[in-house]
Amino acid sequence: MIDDKPFSFWPWFGRGAFDALSFPAWTVAFALVGVGSIARDVGQPLGSAVLSTLLVWAGPAQVIFYGGLGTGMAPLAIAAAVCFSSIRFLPMTMSILPLIRRPKDSLLWQMVLAHYVAVTVWSEGLRRLPNVPVEARQAYYLGFANACVWLAALGTGLGYFLVGALPGPLAAALLFLTPIFFTLSVSGGARRLADWLAIFLGFALQPLSVWLVGESFDLLAVGLVGGTVAFLVARLGDARAAARQGGGQPA
Amino acid sequence: MTAPDASLVPSGLLASLWPYALLLVFGVLPAAMWRILAVVLSRGLPETSAVIVWVRYVATALLSGVVIKLLLAPTGALANVPLAGRLAGIVAGAAAFLLIRRSMIAGVIAGEAVLVASAWWWG
Repeated sequence: MIDDKPFSFWPWFGRGAFDALSFPAWTVAFALVGVGSIARDVGQPLGSAVLSTLLVWAGPAQVIFYGGLGTGMAPLAIAAAVCFSSIRFLPMTMSILPLIRRPKDSLLWQMVLAHYVAVTVWSEGLRRLPNVPVEARQAYYLGFANACVWLAALGTGLGYFLVGALPGPLAAALLFLTPIFFTLSVSGGARRLADWLAIFLGFALQPLSVWLVGESFDLLAVGLVGGTVAFLVARLGDARAAARQGGGQPA
Repeated sequence: MTAPDASLVPSGLLASLWPYALLLVFGVLPAAMWRILAVVLSRGLPETSAVIVWVRYVATALLSGVVIKLLLAPTGALANVPLAGRLAGIVAGAAAFLLIRRSMIAGVIAGEAVLVASAWWWG
């Protein structure tokens, strides 16, 4: 499948998959081992556990789904909780799609691209994609994301058979993967003051936000307030830089 | 076949498909909604547009909030590790990341090592 044209699909797909498999995909795969355990705990079949990783592709939502089934929540209440816990995909998908879509991509194909968005794919994608030639970004993204999804599906399947077998500290280590990986990945991608400000405000505002608006909307409030402040600081910085160069307002 | 009024949970072949129907309708759909909405809302917007730049900062702050929530109010086995251990893991991971050529692997391993050590010590 590999040929010498500068931006043929498969070499870039392969490069993305290779980059994912060289570390990031393993962190998601291990992070989702726990989902397999929970699914088995609540009496769901192996196929459901693996499909949940392939199709829901959102660790916290999967935990809510199976946890909810286990405690006998009404299916509609589970759906509502999954929905609330997944709001982050709206700004995440909106901000990464413009990097990878091509002018002629249909809406349906864009939905396929959007399906792969998750924390690891998002933070690593925003960090890595600007260094990939524009024409090759979609292939690289699909390679990277597919490696993450399929390895994670394997991890979920593994977790199904590991139920109860993991000692406490190791189980804690698996749950710690997402926070530590995201913190490093997003810090590694931060370029300017406003980027750091968004991260810092996210950390600092969350406890306050839970107290002010409650468990359901705390993260949305943190995102809107912290993100808007960081955005305004970035705009101010742009305006100052433009003024120093003798230009007018930035576009 | 189950009589319509017998039970909401069907039997036989349908029973074996029931978990998948549950997953699709009450798990997959409500999560996918946001990604689909994002496709529609971001249509035609270039990555440099003000809206997309703003949304990107919103996503960054929101995800940072998710992470601190996982650390401050954890669930499962992570809740058995004291707060100091969880925070020390993040600090150790960030320090190793910065000191060892911004290596993600070094950072994650250092952070996990500190977390597991404190889980063993206090757990």
